[in-house]
Amino acid sequence: MSQITKTTYQLPIGPIHPALKEPVMFKFEIDGEKIIAVDVELGHVHRAIEWTGMRRNPIQIIYLAERICGICSFVHPMAYCRAVENACNIQVPERADYLRVVHGELERIASHLLWAGVAAHEIGFDTVLFLTWEMREKVLDLIEYLTGNRVTKAILMIGGVRRDIKPENIPKIKETLEYFKENYKKLSHVFLDDKTFKMRSQGCGILTYEDALRLCAVGPTTRASGVKKDVRVDQPYAAYSDLDVDYMTPDKRTGEINGDVYDRIIVRLLEVKQSIELIERAVDQMPTGDIMSEPKIPKLLNYIKKTAGEGIGRDEAPRGEVIHYIKFDGVNEQPFTWKVRASTYANILPWIPMLKGQQIADISIVAASTDPCMSCTNRVTIIDKNKKYMLDKEQLHKLSVEKTRRLMR
Amino acid sequence: MPEKKTKKKPAEKTVETPNKQLSPEEIVTYFKDKFTTKIKSAEIKKRATGSKKKEFVNIWMKIDKSIFKNFIEHLCNLTYPHLAVCSGNDLGNQIELVYSFSIYYGKHLQEISLNVGVEVPKSKPEIETICDWIPGALITEREKQEMLGIKIIGIPDSRRLFLPDDFPKNVYPWRKDEQTKKEIEKLYKNLHEGAKKK
Amino acid sequence: MRFSMLGPVFKQMFKKPWTNKFPAKYQPNNTTKYLADVASGKIKINPPVPTPDGFRGKIKYDKEKCIGCKLCIKVCPCNAIEFKENEKKIKVYLARCCFCSQCNDICPVSCLSMSDEFLLSDADPYSKDLIVE
Repeated sequence: MSQITKTTYQLPIGPIHPALKEPVMFKFEIDGEKIIAVDVELGHVHRAIEWTGMRRNPIQIIYLAERICGICSFVHPMAYCRAVENACNIQVPERADYLRVVHGELERIASHLLWAGVAAHEIGFDTVLFLTWEMREKVLDLIEYLTGNRVTKAILMIGGVRRDIKPENIPKIKETLEYFKENYKKLSHVFLDDKTFKMRSQGCGILTYEDALRLCAVGPTTRASGVKKDVRVDQPYAAYSDLDVDYMTPDKRTGEINGDVYDRIIVRLLEVKQSIELIERAVDQMPTGDIMSEPKIPKLLNYIKKTAGEGIGRDEAPRGEVIHYIKFDGVNEQPFTWKVRASTYANILPWIPMLKGQQIADISIVAASTDPCMSCTNRVTIIDKNKKYMLDKEQLHKLSVEKTRRLMR
Repeated sequence: MPEKKTKKKPAEKTVETPNKQLSPEEIVTYFKDKFTTKIKSAEIKKRATGSKKKEFVNIWMKIDKSIFKNFIEHLCNLTYPHLAVCSGNDLGNQIELVYSFSIYYGKHLQEISLNVGVEVPKSKPEIETICDWIPGALITEREKQEMLGIKIIGIPDSRRLFLPDDFPKNVYPWRKDEQTKKEIEKLYKNLHEGAKKK
Repeated sequence: MRFSMLGPVFKQMFKKPWTNKFPAKYQPNNTTKYLADVASGKIKINPPVPTPDGFRGKIKYDKEKCIGCKLCIKVCPCNAIEFKENEKKIKVYLARCCFCSQCNDICPVSCLSMSDEFLLSDADPYSKDLIVE
């Protein structure tokens, strides 16, 4: 890089940019059309969630964790609940384990289809966007039918799940799964055989096997580079150990691993298919029994309050591994420490080797190919002007009440 | 088992790498033999899930700060780990960092979660970087710098990660001492005044 | 294949629109007047997509049953519930409610339940429609 002759230029993209779905700031050093250096800046959507969590009781945190990310509204509370279960030694009933699989996989389908639509949109193929989102709409309908809401499912509880799948719900699940299977064929044909996709995605945004290992990439990003890493197989949680899950790597379809954007598309589409099959199997094999280890919530809260211990909860989100660390001191109801590691957090560094050497026009598809979720990644700060209610509980509650009175006068 | 991948050449003391996968008990004895009393405690927690009750393993270790870098080196030579995250606890006079690794991934049910706790004194919160062994640790190390005020020696990029540039220096939100509480209270007091003016 | 999307696109041309036209079939000339007419009952809105059983909508509160145990206040994730000291009853601010229905689960006398009402938008967060007591 020569400063004197000024052959390179700086190109800032973001924090708000039409090509990026969420705020993140890229600073590129470009030479002509080619990117030679990348810098990523984060922190535009901090909401101090961990800080807030350390001031709430364990039940309240479930719903706070759910709001870390709108798309991963199941996996975050799931990782949190598992962390608490591991720390306090709570055993989850078998049926709840199966129900967790069903909801987790439904979320994976919804998330991967959303991503597929966005990826199609990023390369300017908007008809495919509508095709995928039509299918996603059906997933959301099913989620609403099973949990009571489309996005924020509020289904998890420490030591189980809150809602059961009743026998009368099963026909609708089966019907929707049939619809998915039929549409999946169409979708995979469009994504994997169409020339437009191949032109834009093959050989673009390559992450090598070594880089994926060294930079600790997770999820479909790392699997597309050939690293076999999937918490569902490595260290199965919920009922995945019974259900025979396998790693989805691109060589399952094409026989080779390139680690480019096309491979990431393949991995995600293969996982959609895998998820459909997993739900089917989980529904068929589901044992009967309780869905919560302790249905009396005050008793549960009391038990957690008295237990000291630390634990981690890991699970495989659509974007990769999510890990929550929690520590209770056995005196306070609030956790002593709560640390959230979302999957995009680990997929930020891999962006740098992926983007180097690419053209400016490829930025958005390469950046989107890791399925970034900035709200997941940025969580911690003290101030957010619009969310001041998240701060001190009593004080703010008082303020809120005062404001109510003022306005009612 | 993923291959060993180290960016830099291994330091002076290279460890004989056993090719076979070690069991959790063997891992604990391996490190206890190497570092003897510097491993303060080691615990293997096994839990089961699903109807077949297959077990998964978590290892919790507490190690002394003086051997931390050496420990990571041995771990990398044993098998290249995946660093999930580094969490931090403010324990009063000490700050405990918990590095969560996962090792032996790539095979069904073989993965072991290895959680390594290191305590650093609050008066001199310094720890060496592990970015030369695991470059992916950069993000989490930068976060620990700004949130807990740990000085990471030799970090390749010491800028702030999440906190904005106008956030006051020497205020570390995750610390639990009185000083931090006061400072943070100041921050949101101003916020409320700003809201009132509107 | 070059034009794999062509088939689906042509099919779409002859399909009924996927969207449910809510609240009106066509854009009214005067939206304010339209809304006023709806409020006075002159016109009926085009119905929304029906919600499934077990949908979590606006909270219903049975004041008679409530024993004032404050458990719901303890678990509410967004502090939406206020305790009225003199009456020993609660007041729910829906503007802050996150519709998790945790208060329903913990209530020992089941005086809280979720209805299927979801048309709750209002310009004023403290309007009567958004306070349940």
